[in-house]
Amino acid sequence: MKVEKVEFDALSRIIGHLNAISVGVKQAIKPERITTEYPRERRKLPDNFRGLILFEKDRCISCFRCAFICPANAIQMELYDNYYPSIDYSKCIFCHFCVDSCPTTALKQTKIHDVAFKDLDEMVVHTDEMINPPELLREDKITVEYKINGKLVLERKREVEDLIVDVIPVKRIEYHSACVNPQNCLGDALCALICPTNAITVVEEEGRRIMKIDTAKCTGCGLCVRECPTKTLGLVRREG
Amino acid sequence: MLDAIFEMFKGNMVYIPLIQPIVNALMKIPIVNYIVALILWKPFFAVAILPGLGGIMIVLLLMVYWERKLTARVQWRVGPLEVCRPLRGLIQPLADGLRYFFQEVIVHVEAHRPYYVQLPILTFIPVLLPILFIPAGEIVAVRSQYAIQIIVALIALIPITIIAIGWASNNRFAYIGTVREAMMYFAYEIPFVIAVLAMILMYGSGDPYVIVEKQTVPGIVMNPIAFLVFFIATLMATSRLPFEIPEADQEIAFGPFVEYSGILFGIVMTLAYEKLYIMCLLMTILFFGGWSGFAIPLLGDLTPAIWLFVKAVVIMLIIALSRSIYPRFRLDQALRLGWTSMLGISLFSLAIAVVKVWWLG
Repeated sequence: MKVEKVEFDALSRIIGHLNAISVGVKQAIKPERITTEYPRERRKLPDNFRGLILFEKDRCISCFRCAFICPANAIQMELYDNYYPSIDYSKCIFCHFCVDSCPTTALKQTKIHDVAFKDLDEMVVHTDEMINPPELLREDKITVEYKINGKLVLERKREVEDLIVDVIPVKRIEYHSACVNPQNCLGDALCALICPTNAITVVEEEGRRIMKIDTAKCTGCGLCVRECPTKTLGLVRREG
Repeated sequence: MLDAIFEMFKGNMVYIPLIQPIVNALMKIPIVNYIVALILWKPFFAVAILPGLGGIMIVLLLMVYWERKLTARVQWRVGPLEVCRPLRGLIQPLADGLRYFFQEVIVHVEAHRPYYVQLPILTFIPVLLPILFIPAGEIVAVRSQYAIQIIVALIALIPITIIAIGWASNNRFAYIGTVREAMMYFAYEIPFVIAVLAMILMYGSGDPYVIVEKQTVPGIVMNPIAFLVFFIATLMATSRLPFEIPEADQEIAFGPFVEYSGILFGIVMTLAYEKLYIMCLLMTILFFGGWSGFAIPLLGDLTPAIWLFVKAVVIMLIIALSRSIYPRFRLDQALRLGWTSMLGISLFSLAIAVVKVWWLG
């Protein structure tokens, strides 16, 4: 198809001008702008907003899933009484895969999205710094809510929104590790070495090494399942 | 000698009942009375206070703020806000002006130094001279039968100074801007002059007093075509946005004024606004009944000046909207518009004037 020069007749030109002017005047009188005056106003954010990540130590079972799933390699496990995650915010891309993958909701999302670090070293946030929320300087007095019902409407309220989200721990399906395919076992005891709670003990029986799993001690973290080279181990739903 | 001058001042003073007690009290103090008499001397008042320099100052502060704020609203932004938050950034132009005052003025090596520094100040001459001939009721500096013609002639001088500024800058952007300014000058000047000519023909005189007296019906109703041409010519002459071709921030970075900084930039930047003010005053006189309006007894002689000023400012505020609505024309489009449509309808408006004067009386 040949593209031809678009010709307008005089009438459509005039109508076009009047349209443009009427839109301009309408916007000048009552603009439909959707910006907020940020430090003084804050947009109301959803509870699942991907902001700064907080950590609750008691819930963590040291399963390493956050560190394994992190696509930016920002999470390093640090050894305290157990292994707990630390986040390097110079690498973090705020995908919140770690929060989603955490089976016990030990990692919690917040609505904090404006944090300042003094240098790169400070951006590596260690576990003990992740437990308490950072010090917040709030200038905002107005919360703006974006409401969409056919048209976007901004609703301004004189209230200050809490940026820390109460994360209710999910009712978790309990697992423990078990030898699903015992015939595969090489007896290399890698699972016993990796187990953070020492739930796996090595027993010699008939000249063979056999792993005994203490299901009471097992937290179901799945580290041994990951470590096992022959896929002997598997996570099994806990009875009762 | 001094007494004679003082008597001359005293014999032709602006009478404002609102401040008359203060004036009377000040006139009794020895040296202050000379100053008060000078300020309130009608020719001086017209040039220095209203509609002259004082009016220009108010217009500059108001227009810059209004233009930025209005454009921001239409474009869904907020505009200047942080300088004096309780007033939503109202004193932003004042803050900018102060900044220009204390900023270093850089004169680059390749500029023609004497002209480069002089011309922004010389430019004030054709900008301020028309004010001498713009009357506001009794307040007038030079009363002339040919005032409108003189104003138009003096306005026509302004682009020449801008071209000189661009030449003195010796910069390629300034050069492009200068050429564009010259082109635009050709595009609007002839239709503009013809539109004014049509109105003068219609009123039968170039005397503002006669023109205002004859406007029982405003000029815009008598000859809307001439108003349309005048309006578009005003947009072109003052580099308002559809015809912001010589300055063109986005491509040639303020055109002829690209090299200026500090107070010199402050002066050249306000040039377009001053020109707009003059042209709006002229538009008010020609099309909107000039200084006619109901009398305010408390203001006395000042009433016509206030009316003229308010009308001009309202027109300016409306013109500011064009910036937020239209994109920029290309140079060739603007030239074509000037030499075909505008020239054509300006001749048509002249024909309307001729018909009205000769056949309908």
